[in-house]
Amino acid sequence: MKNTKYRNTQDSIFEYLFRFVGLISIALLLGIFLMLLYNSIAFFTDINPIDFISKSQWNPTNDKTKSVYGLLSLLFSTLLVTLGAMIIAVPLGIGTATFISEYASERLKKILKPAIEILAAIPSVAIGFMGIVIIGPGIANLFGLNNGLNALNGAILLAIMSLPTIITISEDALHAVPFTYKEASYGVGASKWTTTFRVTLPAAFPGIIAAVMLGMGRAIGETMTVLMATGNSIAFPNGFFDSIRTITATIAIEMGEVPYQTTHYYSLFAIALVLFIITLGVNIIAEILAKRFRKYQ
Amino acid sequence: MLKKFVYFSFPLLIIFLVGCGLNTQSLKIKGSDTEVNLVLLLCEKFYEFDKHFSMSISGGGSGLGIASLLNGQADIANSSRPINSYEKKLFQQKNIELVEFEFAQDALVIIVNEKNNLDSIDSDELKLILNGTIEYWNNTENSKNKISVYGRQNNSGTHAYLKKKLNIEFSSHAKEMNGNAQIIEAIKSDPGGIGYVGAGYVIKDGRQSSSGYKILKLAEKKGMIAYSPLDPFAVKEKKYYLQRPLYQYILKSSYTKAKRFLDFEQSKEGNKIILENGYFPIQY
Repeated sequence: MKNTKYRNTQDSIFEYLFRFVGLISIALLLGIFLMLLYNSIAFFTDINPIDFISKSQWNPTNDKTKSVYGLLSLLFSTLLVTLGAMIIAVPLGIGTATFISEYASERLKKILKPAIEILAAIPSVAIGFMGIVIIGPGIANLFGLNNGLNALNGAILLAIMSLPTIITISEDALHAVPFTYKEASYGVGASKWTTTFRVTLPAAFPGIIAAVMLGMGRAIGETMTVLMATGNSIAFPNGFFDSIRTITATIAIEMGEVPYQTTHYYSLFAIALVLFIITLGVNIIAEILAKRFRKYQ
Repeated sequence: MLKKFVYFSFPLLIIFLVGCGLNTQSLKIKGSDTEVNLVLLLCEKFYEFDKHFSMSISGGGSGLGIASLLNGQADIANSSRPINSYEKKLFQQKNIELVEFEFAQDALVIIVNEKNNLDSIDSDELKLILNGTIEYWNNTENSKNKISVYGRQNNSGTHAYLKKKLNIEFSSHAKEMNGNAQIIEAIKSDPGGIGYVGAGYVIKDGRQSSSGYKILKLAEKKGMIAYSPLDPFAVKEKKYYLQRPLYQYILKSSYTKAKRFLDFEQSKEGNKIILENGYFPIQY
């Protein structure tokens, strides 16, 4: 009797404890969002939101009348480098995942999977440094440029950083395709290649899209690497060979110098809010697709 | 055995840390990347004389140092530019009083890649290059001759100083690097590169401290004599075009405890360190 009561108390204590822990992460997310929103509203009382969205120049100075807070160039830089990274990482990532899931021998699989996971653990400064000393000069030589501090450099580095996410999740999705599908395909005389390309990959498609989205989220939010490897010039970029200044790099560069509670200070929260909305959007899309994929099973 | 040692030493470490907190005075110094290495060396030497004084020094840019004073995160801000009127106003609003102190002089050095055939430049040409009007070396338009300007971010005192001294806006194509060392690395590998760095990063014991780049002589106007920052007499006679005082701003509330360190900087010992590392004492 006593024992039951003890057990019940223990159960309810732990239930509340876990509920509390679970709620903390939601509270944190909400808190961060509200803080961004609060500071952004302070910014938009000073600066017209339409100017913020439509102007392409980002040039905050101590002289208030000369400051320009235009989002476009930063946003374009961020999207350009992310697009570049995805162009490189998506074929490579899906290809690798297909190889691991469909073609690799058990032994090779045992080496490849942990190796890819280790790739995710390399610190971003180390990758940024690689961009300065190896990939930058490499790009400069290859394309006959004077320097390699440009969007292409950033895109290659971000591709390396988002590959582990894309490979791991795509591989899970491919692995989860029921074996009966393949058996049916082999049964009607299809080759292994046809089966992989026409049956397995389409069946895993929503999962692969989710993988790409999560990889993209990783690329958009990355700071140190792009800060080190892309030159950070504020001119509007014309292509992959131009130096770019992403939203994350701008926040990292300018956060240290601003006096608190000034328009410049609030402006950094406003661009952080833009970034937050983009990554949130990407993650929500990934989540919806992943859910559809799970239902599909 | 090792495990035992770790367990044993841990409480000792805590006692040690607490002890430090109780027995010593501490100073937090933040700011200019141009000054950070020099101030670090001065602090190390000062520590040999006074072991009860603990100091932490970090860089990040002059603007960051001054903002840290304002936000209560530092006692002393190193700054390679004087405090501006906007910042002054912010300090007044918060009722914080500052003491200004010039502790050394710095020559700003213009460097190019060592393959560049340029040896000297005058201030007008420099202006046109930095603001993006001249885009190619020798005025020949091909991609190998393209000029790339490397500079600091707008939180840098060096950036602000040069902008004011030359009265220009930097080209929006100028690359903003994360520190003097990165600028030097970039120019070493870029045949079309030009950039500006603090003398301490390129001059050691009166000589260029590494290879791969070239230090340019500067003339005030076209046709005038160009002086090199490597020439101590030119700097002493204030003939080098880009030389400037280095400042430290001290919170008035921390001034008494900082005083001993500031005196040390002006002592013979301090001046020797300043000179050895490519900077120049206020009087010498």
